[in-house]
Amino acid sequence: MASSIFTLSFFVSLIASTIRLATPILIPALGQIYTQRAGILNLGVEGTMLMGSIAAFSTAAATGSLWLGILAGILAGILFSLIFAWLTITVRANQVISGIGLNILASGLAAFIYRVIFGIRALPAQVESFKPINFGSLSQMPVLGPILFQHNWLVYFAFLIVPLSWFIMEKTTYGLKIKAVGENPRAADSKGISVAKIRYSAVLLGGAYAGLGGAFMTIAYLNQFTESVIGGRGYIAVSVVIFARFLPSRAALGALIFGFFTALQLRMQALGVSIPSQLLLALPYAATIVALIFASKNAAMPSAYTVPYSRMER
Amino acid sequence: MNKKFRDSLINLGETLAMLVLALLVGALMVKISGNDPLEAYSAMLTGAFGKNPLKSQMKIYELLVKVIPLMMVAFAMSIAFKAQLWNIGAGGQFVMGSIASTAVALYVPVPIPFRIALSLAAAIAAGAFWGWLAGWLKVRFNANEVITTLMLSYIANCILLWLINGPMQDPYSDLTQSDVIPEAMFLPRLIGNYRLHSGIFILVFVAVVMCFFWKTPLGYQIELVGQGRKVATYSGANVDRTIQTAMLISGGLAGLAGWIEMFGILHRLFPDIASNYGDISNIIALLGGLNPYGIIASSFFFAVLINGGSSMNRMTNVPYSIVDVIQGLIIIFVIAKVILHRKNSSAAVKKSK
Repeated sequence: MASSIFTLSFFVSLIASTIRLATPILIPALGQIYTQRAGILNLGVEGTMLMGSIAAFSTAAATGSLWLGILAGILAGILFSLIFAWLTITVRANQVISGIGLNILASGLAAFIYRVIFGIRALPAQVESFKPINFGSLSQMPVLGPILFQHNWLVYFAFLIVPLSWFIMEKTTYGLKIKAVGENPRAADSKGISVAKIRYSAVLLGGAYAGLGGAFMTIAYLNQFTESVIGGRGYIAVSVVIFARFLPSRAALGALIFGFFTALQLRMQALGVSIPSQLLLALPYAATIVALIFASKNAAMPSAYTVPYSRMER
Repeated sequence: MNKKFRDSLINLGETLAMLVLALLVGALMVKISGNDPLEAYSAMLTGAFGKNPLKSQMKIYELLVKVIPLMMVAFAMSIAFKAQLWNIGAGGQFVMGSIASTAVALYVPVPIPFRIALSLAAAIAAGAFWGWLAGWLKVRFNANEVITTLMLSYIANCILLWLINGPMQDPYSDLTQSDVIPEAMFLPRLIGNYRLHSGIFILVFVAVVMCFFWKTPLGYQIELVGQGRKVATYSGANVDRTIQTAMLISGGLAGLAGWIEMFGILHRLFPDIASNYGDISNIIALLGGLNPYGIIASSFFFAVLINGGSSMNRMTNVPYSIVDVIQGLIIIFVIAKVILHRKNSSAAVKKSK
C-alpha cells in the first residue's frame, strides 16, 4: 500500500487536485478579505455559497449556458449578502448571529428551490460542467501538464485575481477607504467617507465572490447539486482569511493547504489506504482548527472588527 | 402594571408577530411552488396534533418526545450564548455524548445499574470535553469559537461514521450502525407502547434548574462575561475561567441530551443521530431570548413545526424543506426585530436634545 503512495502518478494527481480543490476556498476567501477588512465578520459565507451554487446550477440546467450560470451564482451571492449587510450595517444586529441565521435560511431555501425546480428524481439532475482549457501540447506534457495545464478557466481566474485583490486593497483609494472604515470608522466618517456605503460595498463584493465560489462547486467542479455541496467551505474560507492576516497571497497559501488535505483524503481513499476513510474525512476540518491556533494568537484584526457603527453614539 | 412586566408583554407580542410573518412568507413560497398554503398548513396542524387533539394522544406524546432533545440542546446552547460564546457545534457534543454512553453500555462489563450511571457520566464528560476544547482554544489561542465548535462537530460526525463502520459496527448485520444497547438499560416508557420515555423527567429537572441558574453566582458570572471582557474584569470575574466553564457546562448538557436520546429512543448508534438538532436548537435558544421560559415555549413551537412538517411532507406535495425555510425566516426576523426599538430609542434621543 505504502509503495503506491510514493509513485509519480499519485503525486501528480494529488497536486493537480490540490490546486482544483483550493479554488472554491480561495475565491470566497479573497472576497472576505474586503469584507473583514471593513470590520465585518460575515459567517454567512457558507449560506451565500450555497445560494450561489443552487442559482448557478438551476440557471445552467434551465438555459444550457454555463456562463449564465456563473452570472446567476454571482447575482445570488450579492442578493443574499445584501440581507446580511442590511442586518449588520443598517439594523446593527450581532454579526455572528446574523451570519449563522442566514446559513440556516440558506440550507432550507436551497433545498426547497432544488426540490421545486427539479422535483423528486431517481437520479440527481446533472449539467455538463466547464471543460479544462486546452493548452495544446502544454496540456500533454508529462507531470507539469496535468498539474498546471488541465484545469478549467475558473481555477486560473481564482489565482489570477490574487494579485489584483492585493492591488485593489493596497494601491487604490477604495482599498484605503475599506481599511479606514475597518480601523477607525469615526475618523473615516469625519473625513467624509460614508462608513455605511463602504461597508455595504465590501459585504456585497464578498457576497459576489462567495456566490462565484458556490457556482464553482456545482458547475465547474461537480456537475450536480446536493444539499451538502459546500460542506463547511464557507467557514473554512473565513478561517483562511484570519490565517492569511488579510493578505491575498497568504490566502492563496491557506487555500492550497486546505486543498491539499482535502485532495490527500480523496486520493488516499481512492487507493484504499488502511487508515479508515471516515477519519481521513476529518483531515481538512482538523487542519482548519490547527491553522486557527497558529494564526489567531497574534492576528492584527481591524480595530472596529465586528463593531457596528452608528453616527449617533459616541 | 409594572414596567418590566409590560416590556416582556410587548416583547412577547413582537416575537409572535415575527412568527406569524415567517409563516406568511412561508405560505407565499408554498404558493409560488404551485401548492395550496392552506392545505399545507392544515396538513401540518393535523400532523402535529391529530384530527381531534383530545383523542389523538399519540400525537401529543410524539410532540413531547421531540421536545426532549430540542429543549435540552437549546438549554445547552443558551448557557454558552449568554456569555457571547457562539457554540453552534452543540450537535457534535451531542454526538460525542451518544458515542461515549453507547460504548459504555455495550462494552463495560459491570452490573446494569452501575453501567447506567457510568454511561450517564461518560456522556456528560464526553460532551463537556468537546465543548470545553473550543473554550480552551478560544482562551489559549484566541481561536474563533464559531469555527472551532463547528469544525469539532464535523470531526465528531467523522468519528461516529468511523466507529459504526469499524470498531463498533453491529456484529449481526452489514449495516452501518452499532449493536443495540442492552434492553435492561432502555429508559422505561411511561404510557403503554407510546414512545414517550422517562427521560422527560430529566428534562423537567434541567428546566427547573435552568429557571434558577441565572440567579446563581455562576450564572451571574457567565452573564457578566457576555457583557464584554472589560465589564466582566472590572466586576471581578475571571473571564478566561468562566469561558471554559460555560463551554464545559454547555457541552455537558448537549452530551446529556445525547444520552437521553440514545437510551430513550435510538438505542443504537447510526449515521446522523444528532439530526439537525444543533441548528434548530440554536434558533430555539435565540427565539426564546436565551430565557428559560422563552426556550420552553419555543421548543414546543418547533416540535409542532417539525412533527407537523414531516407529515405534511407525506400528505401533500410540499417538501419538508419549507419547514427549514420557515425556521430560517424566523431567525432572520427575530434578529431584525431590534430595529423596532432602534426607531423608538433614536426618537427618544432626539426628543431629549
